[in-house]
Amino acid sequence: MSSWIVIVAAGLGSYLFRLSMIILTSRITMPPYLERASGLVAPAAFAALAAAGVATACIGLGATQAAAPLAAVAAAVIAVLRTGSSYAAILVGMPALWITTSLLSS
Amino acid sequence: MISLRADRSDIAAGARAMVPWLAGIVPFGLVIGVSAAQADIPTLAGWLTGPLIYAGSSQLATIGMLDAGAAPVVVVAAALIINIRLIFYSATMARYWRGTPLWWRLAAAYLIVDPSVAVALDGYQRLDRERGHAYYLGGAVLLWVSWLAAIAAGAMVGASLPAWLHLEFVIPLYLVGQAIAKLANPAQRRAIVAAATVALLALSAPLQLGVALAIAAGVTAGLTAEVPR
Repeated sequence: MSSWIVIVAAGLGSYLFRLSMIILTSRITMPPYLERASGLVAPAAFAALAAAGVATACIGLGATQAAAPLAAVAAAVIAVLRTGSSYAAILVGMPALWITTSLLSS
Repeated sequence: MISLRADRSDIAAGARAMVPWLAGIVPFGLVIGVSAAQADIPTLAGWLTGPLIYAGSSQLATIGMLDAGAAPVVVVAAALIINIRLIFYSATMARYWRGTPLWWRLAAAYLIVDPSVAVALDGYQRLDRERGHAYYLGGAVLLWVSWLAAIAAGAMVGASLPAWLHLEFVIPLYLVGQAIAKLANPAQRRAIVAAATVALLALSAPLQLGVALAIAAGVTAGLTAEVPR
């Protein structure tokens, strides 16, 4: 139940953000540091969620099996650095995960 | 004024300008759909992040944190912090929408998001105000429809694929890819390294507060980088 409320609340808040400056027609100038900060939120959030997500996946698997997600992440990092495309992380990382998982369980 | 008989060719031109964006947007929508199907929340609730929150990174964070059992207040706060940039977009569009009817501002504001603002700015710079509205509408509506369809397709595929595919790992990998691709920018690099470090150190913090703490640490670290001149 609470997940519905969370999503509606986040959606309502996001809409108010979109509407805020359009309705408040008086010219409010934003401090420049706030504008810089807003460009940093998404990278920071992505990095935090990625680190927490990978670490949680590893903890759930135990010492030996944890090598599979770590190998997938390593392959993904190399793929993104070489291709410059962020989607290469999924295209290379997932097969790496399947291969290492099957090797570790065989 | 907004003309309901807006020039169809301007609507079509706006839609065409959005097409290149869809190449990046549709895979992202599919990823969010898959994550909604895999997460421990009703799939419909996950899909609803599309029409309600309508901003990919915030949707992903919301689904991920709900799945991890974060406290509702923390999830809403994180989702809104990620969306603070919408206030800047709102200020950007306010310039072009001053004097338009309230119904237009209420509806057009709902469609504000990174690609629609980019397409709109291009349109308003090249066309007069009224034709710019039609251009924005064409691009923004195509984006909206494509986004919701992509999430729905991802959710359907994600729900029917076998467990050994470990699709739950698509999201961390996607986020890793996004973070690595942004390392070239010094301020973003500091933000990424600090946020990842704090997230790992605060892994056992209750209610997923670690993620919120990590975002704050990342933004603070990024702000300490020298301002490019």
